Amino acid sequence: MLFFTTDHLGRPVTEEKKPSRVMRLKNSVQTASPGICTDRACIWTAYHKQSDNRKKSAHIQMAESLREVLLNKKIRIYPDELIVGNYSSKRVGGSIFPELHGVPVLLDIFKFSKRKTNPLRISGIEIWNLLKIIPFWMFRFMALKAYRSPYQLIRLLIHQLKGHFYIINESGGISHIAPDYEKLISIGTDGILAEASGFQKNSIQGTEKWCFYEAVKIIADALAKFGQRYAHLAEKMASAESDAGRKQELFTIAQTCRNVPQKGASSFQEAVQSLFFAQIAINLESLDNSVCPGRMDQYLYPFYEADLQRKQITRDKAKELLSAFSIKMSEIIPVFSEYLTNIHGGMFNGQVVTVGGLRPDGTDGTNELTYVFLEIMDELRMRQPNYHARISDKSPEQYLEKIHTMLANGSNSPALYNDTVIVDTMVHHGYSIEDARDYTGVGCVEPVAQGKSFSSTDAALLNVPLILELALNQGRRFGSRFRSGAKSMPVKNMRSMEDVKTAFEIQLADQVSRLIKDLQAIETANRKYHPTPLTSSLLEGCLENGICSTAGGARYNFSGIQCVAPADTGDSLFAIEKAVFTDQKITLPALVKQLSLNLPDNSLRNYLKAIEKFGNDQPDADKWTVYVVEQFTRQLNQYRNTRGGRYVPGLYSVTIHEYYGRVTGALPNGRKKGESFSSGISPSNGMDRLGPTALINSVNRIDFSKIANGVNFNLKFDSHTLRGPTGKLALKSVLSTYFRKGGMQVQVNVLDPSMLLAAKNNPDLYPHLLVRVSGYSAYFNDLSPKMKDEIIRRSSIIN
Amino acid sequence: MMEKDGNLHYPGEKAVIFDIQRFCLHDGPGIRTTCFFKGCPLSCVWCQNPESHRAQPELIFYAESCIHCFTCKQICPENAISETLALRFDPERCTACGLCVSKCPTNSLRLVGKEWGLTDLTNEVVKDIAFFQDSNGGITLSGGEPLLQTDFLLAWLPMIREKHIHTTIQTCGMMSWTNIEKLLPLLDLVFYDLKHMNDSIHKQFTGKGNANILDNFIWLSKSGMAVQARMPVIPGVNTAPDNIRETARFLKKNQQESIHLLPYHPLGEAKLNRIDTSLRPMNITPLDLKNLQEIQELFEKEEIHAVLYD
Repeated sequence: MLFFTTDHLGRPVTEEKKPSRVMRLKNSVQTASPGICTDRACIWTAYHKQSDNRKKSAHIQMAESLREVLLNKKIRIYPDELIVGNYSSKRVGGSIFPELHGVPVLLDIFKFSKRKTNPLRISGIEIWNLLKIIPFWMFRFMALKAYRSPYQLIRLLIHQLKGHFYIINESGGISHIAPDYEKLISIGTDGILAEASGFQKNSIQGTEKWCFYEAVKIIADALAKFGQRYAHLAEKMASAESDAGRKQELFTIAQTCRNVPQKGASSFQEAVQSLFFAQIAINLESLDNSVCPGRMDQYLYPFYEADLQRKQITRDKAKELLSAFSIKMSEIIPVFSEYLTNIHGGMFNGQVVTVGGLRPDGTDGTNELTYVFLEIMDELRMRQPNYHARISDKSPEQYLEKIHTMLANGSNSPALYNDTVIVDTMVHHGYSIEDARDYTGVGCVEPVAQGKSFSSTDAALLNVPLILELALNQGRRFGSRFRSGAKSMPVKNMRSMEDVKTAFEIQLADQVSRLIKDLQAIETANRKYHPTPLTSSLLEGCLENGICSTAGGARYNFSGIQCVAPADTGDSLFAIEKAVFTDQKITLPALVKQLSLNLPDNSLRNYLKAIEKFGNDQPDADKWTVYVVEQFTRQLNQYRNTRGGRYVPGLYSVTIHEYYGRVTGALPNGRKKGESFSSGISPSNGMDRLGPTALINSVNRIDFSKIANGVNFNLKFDSHTLRGPTGKLALKSVLSTYFRKGGMQVQVNVLDPSMLLAAKNNPDLYPHLLVRVSGYSAYFNDLSPKMKDEIIRRSSIIN
Repeated sequence: MMEKDGNLHYPGEKAVIFDIQRFCLHDGPGIRTTCFFKGCPLSCVWCQNPESHRAQPELIFYAESCIHCFTCKQICPENAISETLALRFDPERCTACGLCVSKCPTNSLRLVGKEWGLTDLTNEVVKDIAFFQDSNGGITLSGGEPLLQTDFLLAWLPMIREKHIHTTIQTCGMMSWTNIEKLLPLLDLVFYDLKHMNDSIHKQFTGKGNANILDNFIWLSKSGMAVQARMPVIPGVNTAPDNIRETARFLKKNQQESIHLLPYHPLGEAKLNRIDTSLRPMNITPLDLKNLQEIQELFEKEEIHAVLYD
């Protein structure tokens, strides 16, 4: 890298400055083109093709096949690395899980390298190797095993592979855990093995319990050996290394991997290394989705402190190690088919690291590592891990100040979580106060207790606006004679909003009951065919109970179902109330007719769009979104999952709101067929006209204490608004008011001036963009192109 | 309530306001809700809110989004709408009844100015009270010229003060002192515009001389009220060093220590062809940062701290 500087006489000199190790690592990961690794799929298949193996207990099969993967997959140590372990054979890569969602994904095999969004590198030989395994898994993958009756299979094909009403993610595996890494780094796999052996003595050989313990023992041993493989490799590389500094580093790596994960960690580096090995192995076991290290600043701090005292580490060294770890998290990516990309979007796999917040005893947990992590997320600004910061009323001013400065300067990490609301919510749902205080997010936004919850937080997502379509059509889709829902009152007989609500509730109850039935078949199949012994060994309760986490062995067992597009649904109900019953602008049958024709009448559509929407602090409008969320929660509350836990609602949608929007007809809120729904709890696209304070007042009308699976609330600002001390102070006040008034979670997005340019070129993108010039009154979209340029000029100057 | 002559029939009970903006960060301390009062005694050529000049509600027309359906023409009881008018409506005939506004399918016709009762306005501005508390913000009266509706403010501001909300006013000062004086106990901060120190230039560009304004400023400074002088920096109008120096000395004489400089921007011109106004675009380019900093330095030289807005 070239830097131009001046010497002591002011003459320009060209000097070559070597970027830091962290920047070199970041650069190698960011410039690597992502690919598909066939190791897991091929090794897994080879194991299962042996019919002797298929006769073993599912627990043993699982442990042994994972052992085969850990002992035989290709391993690498890359230049400059301090924390080692490669998830895939590519620098950045993903694996195929043929036994889970494998076959639907494999059907895309020829598209991966050519597709426009997120192409994945795969060679001809690798394609051939994967093609060879398809026949074996054709009738053995999870969804097929779950639905044995022909009727259910047909429904599976209609609903799952083309999920319009709901999508059951759990059919692709469960994952979504924050393992008890504290336990692993303190007792090592040896400790886990001893624990399992101890429990196993009290069980009868050959029973399910015994097999479960046996599986834990097998996998604990395999994980230790996985570490040893790196120790050997590092030693070999060290002896061949000519650079003395690197040689020493490789020796240290070898020493580290000889100790961990087999033994308890004796240094900070060993602790980080130990958990990263487990991170790889758990991703390969349960599913490469949302395996979350969680509260790293909390459980790593004792190791940092001890090393500091022994003068074996400095703050900078610890930061370098954690940066190296942080970068390695981006090497792990999920492999999605094009269809699944609709649902999950991007290459995001939700590995959450949480900092700050309360300790189990209720005191503030902020420590030096908390700040180290904040610096790392600000400096690296990479996609993974998904960094969360917890805020409590005990959070120190310095911590908040650091976060506000980062966010105001455009860092999109961390997302913020309100301890007061989340701990309360968790306690109300049955967590002990100590476990609730030790929560971390997993996946996107879902709170779980670290090392204690097996909550399938992303079990399924329901398309709620589609339920309104059914309610207005006696259980049918527009233009369909086939009844996809329950029978409810025809619109011509509806005399009031009460009738509309009744129909909506009937359809909602019907769809939720169908969803739960399908989901429970998958839950049972996961328990039967895809137990997760390694995950279970790091979740409190499983070893004690002798029950795998998939069967309900963990201390807490929730399942999260997402309510997708509540604002679009609520706004549509309000539009019906206003247009049909208050203004009597149109009859309900006439409105429904218009909807089925995709709102061809522009003046009607504009009228519907102009009706007040959620997000503008209007109680009359907001109450309908609140109603939708309440009804959704009420329906879920009636059911218990097969692991003995509750179904809890979540208000986030990743990217599925776009997909559901594409497959859903026109809505009374003026949205045409195919247009995207709003994300999470955001207002329908751009319908918040009054700025962040009004939006927050609307959002806080939702009772978050019922939303135990978490909320995603995006708060967008343009960078000009947040400039300087005034802007930072405003951001700070907005966030603290939001949390004080019961807000649960917020993700701040600062949009740069280029966003204004995009808004100029496409007015529908941000229809109600705020323009704030002292004493000036206008909306951006009402300005002439020349004036829009003027605003853009002003925003750009200051930044 | 409103007649065409613009007289309020219930003075003091209703205000005409043309916009209420929440989350304003540059109209006083903290997070503020700014109420734009309609009606102004001046008509500055650079005005950024020319739709504020008239006291009564009026129609505004957004030609770009008009789809020429002329639903408005069919419904107008005054026959004020015509295809041939660039403004779409004849201001002489229009009574701002709002019928066309409610029927316009693309929201191209809108009413500027809405009557607000005491309670309604209170309920509206207290919505962000939690944010005011956290940020030491409050409400700002802007316009137009809020002092034109003094009777309303006298009845309304006590309701706001009761809730311990900080109140700021932005005024041009063109008002009888007795009116201003009555309001002072109800205000926390006055933003006061000084546009030009020369009477005849002031008259040329704003329509009125500055004698009354300067007098009021002197009185205000003596009253012990928190006053912040502000100056719209208009290239070629008030940027001459002489005027800057004179302004600075005037401030010093009145024990003021600082001034806020609001750089000219042409954003108000976007509105000129949408309303009935005699104002025309100034066709000047905004000052760049360097020029603005020179003006800032001139003030600083006179020991007046100048804060530059952006």
